[in-house]
This record gives sequence, structure tokens and C-alpha cells, in this order.
Amino acid sequence: MQTHIISLLVEDNPGVLTRMSGMFTQRGINITSLTVSPCEKEGLSRMTVAIEGSESELEMVRKQLSNLIEVVKVVDLKENEAIIRDLCLLKVHAKDSGARLEVMQLAESYGAKILDAALDSVTLELTEEPKKIDRFVDLMRHFGVKQLFRTGVTAIGISAGGGVEK
Amino acid sequence: MAKQKLSGAEIVVEELKTEGAEVAFGIPGGALLDLYDVLYKEEAIRHILMRHEQCAAHAADGYARVSGKAGVCIATSGPGATNLVTGLANANMDSSPVVALTGQVPTSVIGTNAFQEASTFTITMPITKHNFLVKRTEDLPKVIHNAFYIANTGRKGVVLVDLPTDILAGKAKVDLHQKETFAGYKPNIKPNQVQIKRVVEILANAERPLILAGGGVISADAAVELRHLADFLGAPVVTTLMGKGAIPENHPFCLGMAGMHGQLYANRAINECDALLALGTRFSDRTTGWQLDQFAPDATLIHVDIDTAEINKNIQVDIPIVGDVKLALSGILKLLEKKRAKKSESEWEKRIKKMHEACDSCVEDISREGASVSDILIKEISRILDDDAIVTTEVGQCQMFAAHYYMTRKPRTFISSGGLGTMGFGFPAAIGAKVAAPDKKVVDIAGDGSFLMTCQDLATCVENDIPVVVCILDNRYLGMVRQWQELFYEKKYAHTGLGITPDFVKLAEAFGCYGERVEKPEDLKDALNNAFESGKPAVLDMIVGKEDKVLPMIPPGGGITGMIGTERCKHI
Repeated sequence: MQTHIISLLVEDNPGVLTRMSGMFTQRGINITSLTVSPCEKEGLSRMTVAIEGSESELEMVRKQLSNLIEVVKVVDLKENEAIIRDLCLLKVHAKDSGARLEVMQLAESYGAKILDAALDSVTLELTEEPKKIDRFVDLMRHFGVKQLFRTGVTAIGISAGGGVEK
Repeated sequence: MAKQKLSGAEIVVEELKTEGAEVAFGIPGGALLDLYDVLYKEEAIRHILMRHEQCAAHAADGYARVSGKAGVCIATSGPGATNLVTGLANANMDSSPVVALTGQVPTSVIGTNAFQEASTFTITMPITKHNFLVKRTEDLPKVIHNAFYIANTGRKGVVLVDLPTDILAGKAKVDLHQKETFAGYKPNIKPNQVQIKRVVEILANAERPLILAGGGVISADAAVELRHLADFLGAPVVTTLMGKGAIPENHPFCLGMAGMHGQLYANRAINECDALLALGTRFSDRTTGWQLDQFAPDATLIHVDIDTAEINKNIQVDIPIVGDVKLALSGILKLLEKKRAKKSESEWEKRIKKMHEACDSCVEDISREGASVSDILIKEISRILDDDAIVTTEVGQCQMFAAHYYMTRKPRTFISSGGLGTMGFGFPAAIGAKVAAPDKKVVDIAGDGSFLMTCQDLATCVENDIPVVVCILDNRYLGMVRQWQELFYEKKYAHTGLGITPDFVKLAEAFGCYGERVEKPEDLKDALNNAFESGKPAVLDMIVGKEDKVLPMIPPGGGITGMIGTERCKHI
């Protein structure tokens, strides 16, 4: 099992998300993260889907996504050929000034932004590779994480082309 | 073209005509009053009122498989649409082009559990090639055009268009006959020439080549090319259930259907070949068996399919070709003919001819030892019907008896529910077939269990003068399940006995059809004759033994060399 990131260019129609996610459901594949947003072309949206599965499952999924009428382009983004980002918002316990100071110092070393500080908590934002966010969140659990929000991954290919137009 | 102001319903009907639709199978309802109001005065489209929406979908499917054109079915919102679902899933599984139009509640109340509301769009998403929920009347020309375009191209399939009442009633100024399509829909038709060359290399050097023809050969109208290649290569042809008719089954190079209920030597040939050219088939487990090490173990596997997603899905192949089977076959033939002259008869060809004779004589010799009444009846039907006659089947034993013993001689004359295995399919599919080909004899080979699922449409046949003949293998059992219970579940016949079944002769007569009981196989010829002579839709109730079994067969979990019940086969 391995995490794969698939980037899709789809027609911006109602139902396209259901159609896409239904394809994964039918094959019994769990989507671990999903982002949908407008893109450079009007009338199209970009979806970034992270799934866990074998190479052969990925291959099948890629082909079946290509078969969907409203899918214009399917790109299988390899980790070393893409820039991958995730945005995380988290509220961390800071029971005293010592803890608060330590949280803020660690946040700074990870490049996280301090969005809000209260007497008993600090709210942080970190945009990074998912793995780095995982490490940061693990660290923050030491202080106690009150709330955690992640947007899910979005990714862009490094090479000029990146993926095959159908 | 100048823009015209038309109602949504008028646009739909105009576009149907532009797309060449001549027939629609449907049932009206509250949400479709505007559409039917336009159909009322429309003479170019023959509307056939069905008695159940499932039958409307199956009839459109049968029509499509026989005519090669998209079949059209219509159902109202809510229950009308949900009743269509089985029929649409069936057509889509077998890559049959069907366009379904469904009524929907007004856009203003969608999602409120309005009267006769169901979310047809979401329900049918996984069982269609594509579907639309139309939100603006002005989108209709593009949507209807694309519905036909998508259904009819690439891997054919079902497209559903959900039509809210206000969209049908609303008026818009539109350009009819728009040809705009989707950026993301580019069906891959042209096969790769490099791959073709590789295939030719393999086939030219193969000692024991074999062709496995699936439904894609028929769908691509490639039967002529297939025969040329088989003759030129000296390669035998085996088919899948969907491929029956791709080559005449009495052709000396045809070994008949392979797979679970296939011919013994069709399966042997797959096991023995050294190059397998699979055409328009998805290698379903019903074809390959479950022990894949027995499936063409020594062969270079070549797979031609129009759907990329079928490549390496069920079986890993050596050379894939994505594209239209007809184009691929022409390409292969052209290069092959340049490369070498036709070889003299090889050892393999001699063996194939023996294999063909063995299975053929099994079919020809009507009452050879061990033959059941069901076997004999199907062989009789095969003998009585002419080459052009169309046979549809229900699902279960009747289907597999037909697949095994009915000798199909032309493409588009054997119509069966392959993928979904839908009981109740054969009779309404026969209605569609007869409408598509009114001059041909159409016979549904049915079981009593299956026929009872859709027999209400006898009324449709009588009302619309559609004289199809239903031949029921009547054993008062759900025979195929019973067969499995007998062979694999210690004869515990759990809920497969139908008990007191209707008098099918009286049932036929009650509908105004011709009915006759066939107690003995030797009476079938006269009965069929009487049925055709009556000019009416007809039901022949053929009494068969409850112990009749479809054999030989690959038992569940077995491989293609592990057929059981082969003692009745002629061995070489």
C-alpha cells in the first residue's frame, strides 16, 4: 500500500464530484484526501485526490477516471516530480507562559504562522508537505491539540507538461 | 441555422429525429405530459407503449443489439425511472447503446421529496456510461446530441437524460442540431500501428494460433474481417457468450462458445494454443474459469479492446491494442497478407477440424445418449429456424442450453444478457428485436421462472402486433440454481421449486396470444409452425425434466480444463 496523488482536470458541472468519488467507491478504494478548486481554465475545475492502494489499483483507477466523460485530464503525480502542499490550522493548549513560549518557538522553527494567542491556547497555521505537517502535529500533541483542521493535499507537477491530455 | 423558439419537449423530439431515432419504447406519466403531447402528433417516431419500464429498457436494448442503432426508452419520474434501472444496468454491462429519457419533478422542487420524485441522476450514475440532469431548456440540443454520440461511440453504452417538467415546458431560442461535444470525450478508435506490427509478427510465426471473439466483434461489425483472418491464418475461433454469431458456428474453424458452459473443445483449444488473439472481450470469469494457470498457459496473449480500462484488468496480456476491432483486424490482415502467403494445412488445423466435428456432431446428433429433453428441444429449434432468425434468451439454464446447443449463424441474431444476467430480459428484448427486424422470425428461449418476471408485456405484443414466439423450457424450477444445489449443495433445493405455476397456454390465450403445450420434443416442429402461422405473439410451453442439467460445465472455482459432465461429450 502506498499513497498516490492524482490530479484531475474536470468539467465544472454539478454531479462531477459524485461521479468521480463513486468510481472510487465502486472499486472499494478509500480517498484519504480531496481538494476541489477553480483552475486556470474557465469552466474547468481541478481535483487533487490522494488514495492508498497498489500500483495496479492506481493504474486501473487512472484508466477508469479517464473514461469519465467530464474528466478532461488525469495526472498521476509522483512524489519526486511534484510540489505537494497541505494547509493545517491547529489550536494547541498552552497552560502557562512557559508552554506558550515553547509552542511559539517550535512553530517558528517549522515556519508556522501564529494566528492567535490566548492565555490558555495558541492558534497556528502551517502550509507544508503533508509529512512535515504530520511531524509538526505530532510534536504539538505533546502540549495537547484542542482542534485540528487540514485542507487536504494540493499538488503541482514540476516538469512543464505533467500528465497526458486524453 | 437560424435560432428557433421551441419548447423543451419540441427540442427533444426534433433532436431525436435528427439522431435517427425511429422508435421509442416507453410509458408516459405526470412528469412527461409535455413530451408526450409533442409525441402525440409526431409521425416520424413510432412510440410503443410498454407495460413495465424494465421492459421498455430491455426492448430498447434488444432493438439496439439487432439494429446496431441506439435504442430509445422513456419513463416518467420516480417509480418509472427506478423501474428502468435494471434494464439500463443490463444494457450498459453488455455495451449496448441505449438512450433513456426520464421525467423529473420541476427544478424548483428537486430535493424536496416531491410526489414521484427520485434522484434518478444519482441512482443511475454507476450504471450508465454517462447521464445528464438538464437544468436549462437551452441546453437540450447539446445534451440530446451528446447522449446519442456518447451512447454510440467508443465502448457503447447507456446514456440517461433526466428531464424536469419545467425544462420540457419552458421555451427557448435555440440552434437545433448543435454538434458541440465534450473536451474530455475522445473515444480511442484508431489502433496503434506499431502494436499491429508486433501482433502480425506473433501470429505469422505461431504454430497454434487461436482467436477468442467477444461481443466487441459484433458491436464493431467486424464479422467479415474475423472470418478472413481465421481463414487466412488457419486459426480456429472460439467465442464468448456475447460473441456468439461473430462467426457462423457451423464454420469448420469455429469451435463454439468457450468458458463455464462452453464446448469442451473450445476450452481445450484455449488451453493448447500458443498465440491467443482476444477481440472485444473483457475476459470475464465465465469465459476464463477460475484457475487462470489453465487459461492459455503457453500462449502469447494479444488483447484488442476499445476500452483502455479493460486492458490488464482481469488477465495480464503481452500485447494490448486499444481501438476498434474492425480497424485492428483490417490492419492485421493487410500486413499479414503482405508478409506471407496462406500456409498449407497445419497439424493444428487438422486437430481443430476434428475438435469441431466432435462438438458439432454433439449438436447435430439430436438424441444422442445422455441428451436431456432440454438439449433436444434447443437442438430442434436450432434445426427448424433459418439462418436469419433471431434468438433471445432469458437467464439461467434456458440461456446456457441455448448458448451450448443453438447454432448461431449470423451476427446480431443471438441476443442474451451476458454481464448482468437479468432474468426477464429475453422476452422484452425479443420485442425490441422484432421491432428492429419485423421480417425476421424472433424466438425467446425462456425458462418458466424468467418468463414470469416480464410476461405482462404480452399485452404490448398483442396491442402493437409484434408476433414474437416465447419457447418456455418449463421445469417448474429455477433450474440453474437447482442444478447448483443438486451438484454442489447436497440436493437441498432451497426455494427453487416454483410449485404451482400458471397454465402458460391459458395465460397466452388470456392475453390474446397463441398458446400450445409441447409435451414431447417431436411435437415441437408442428407447434413452432402453428405459432408462426398464427401470426400472433405466441407462447409454447415445452415440458422438460426438472433433473435436466446444463453439462458439461466448469464447476465453481475450476479451470477450463476441469469441466465436469464430459462423459456425454464426443471425445477425440
